[in-house]
Amino acid sequence: MFGQGLIKGLSITLKHLFDKKLTEEYPEVKPNLPDSFKGSFMLKVPKCIACGLCANACPNNVIKIESEKDENNKKKLTGYKMMAERCLYCGFCVEACPTKALLWTKEFENAVYIREMVNLDLFSSYVPSPDDEKPAKPKKQDEETAQAS
Amino acid sequence: MLKTQELTLNMGPVHPSTHGVYRCVLTLDGEYVRNAVNHIGYLHRGLEKLAESRTYSQFIPYTDRLDYCSGLANELAYVMAVEKLMGITEEIPERAQYLRVICAELQRLASHGIFVGSFALDTAGMTAFFYAFRERDRVLELITRIGGNRLTPNYMRIGGVARDLEEDFFKELKQLMDDYDAAIDEYDGILTGNEIFQSRTKGVSIVSKEMALDYGFTGPNLRASGVDYDMRRDEPYGIYDRFKFEVPIGETGDTFDRYVLRVKEMRESVKIIKQALEQIPEGPVMAKVPKVIKPPVGEVFHCIENPKGHLGFHIVSDGSTKPYRTRIYSPTFVMLSAFPEMAKGTHIMDAVLILASIDIVLGEVDR
Repeated sequence: MFGQGLIKGLSITLKHLFDKKLTEEYPEVKPNLPDSFKGSFMLKVPKCIACGLCANACPNNVIKIESEKDENNKKKLTGYKMMAERCLYCGFCVEACPTKALLWTKEFENAVYIREMVNLDLFSSYVPSPDDEKPAKPKKQDEETAQAS
Repeated sequence: MLKTQELTLNMGPVHPSTHGVYRCVLTLDGEYVRNAVNHIGYLHRGLEKLAESRTYSQFIPYTDRLDYCSGLANELAYVMAVEKLMGITEEIPERAQYLRVICAELQRLASHGIFVGSFALDTAGMTAFFYAFRERDRVLELITRIGGNRLTPNYMRIGGVARDLEEDFFKELKQLMDDYDAAIDEYDGILTGNEIFQSRTKGVSIVSKEMALDYGFTGPNLRASGVDYDMRRDEPYGIYDRFKFEVPIGETGDTFDRYVLRVKEMRESVKIIKQALEQIPEGPVMAKVPKVIKPPVGEVFHCIENPKGHLGFHIVSDGSTKPYRTRIYSPTFVMLSAFPEMAKGTHIMDAVLILASIDIVLGEVDR
């Protein structure tokens, strides 16, 4: 019978009329994001050893690291800039970090009014917290990485 | 005496169904399409050239941007090509192989979900669009758990996958797969059986077996024309030979067949994921690959069955850390070239429908 399919379709929509609403009330209710979510970046400055692996891993030359050598001939971070306007959000830098100093945050509302404000200065925007003070030692596996590259 | 003349009309670049990335110059005789000329290149980013200045692993996130509706599947194609070049295809751990199959089939569900939704929208079926995107969004949420982004996950690595997935993910995936069949029944109920939808799509732009082969159609569009060929079954790559699934075949090759076939394929993808979830072993997810990838001198071509057709990568290596040349064989570029012939003689309202039925993604056409 012609029209059978139409009636079947309408019965499906009618069923859904009384369903629970699926719409996310976004600005009022924030989405529940998984731990692996790639939002923005965070750098735990005391943990960073300025090895430059993140800058090497980046496909797009996003990361600019400035460092100087102190009296023990040890590298010390003096600047960490991310040209986030070029960033692909691929996560190779976070994966490459041997001391887990560079991390993802769940902050995703990254839109700004002025183009330059997209770029991140992770060194100067760092807020000290007591957990970060001890610089973790790089593991064996990561020393191999450093040699290989 | 009534005088008629032909009218030239630009469909796109700012047309709702081409959204700024594709233009087609139609020559109209009244409401009938007499001629159509493709204009592409609006989304050209030079990915093939970019590949030459990136190392082998650094190019993986770029492949996400090819066909942005099926990022994980593109990554898989590229990664498998590099593995073939390095000769480590046999060394990929079992668990990684299963995770790859799950990822690729999830992405197929998401991509076909877009097709069903946008195809319904082009026939002015708003409700079906929302139903299709409802499931697709659940798939994308799972992909966010896999890779952290909805469309560009960057999860595949040369030699395996980036990380193992947690137990929670599999639980949610299982739940989604249990719900999926009912959801596809809904698409069938609201669209496939709908008489208005059928009269809009049946018999429109019939692509014969010969024409499909002549133009080099691949994937669902080829099968809709009645050619029984699926790479997953006929030339299995990875571990696809371990799964039991059917390859649906279309009869006439009209737009309706191209739609129905994709809905049928979604059911098969659900079957494959269910089997993979049962069989998946524990173990490592990454093979032992050197950190700096230097494949031997030589070249390789590898293609896989992407949601939209055969996506292939031809990589030429000169033994250094960067490829000498990367060539991307994209299925929708090939199939879009058949659009003028498919659209000739049809009604102008059908032209949009035919374009949607090819399932083009301009990110892949222009590269």
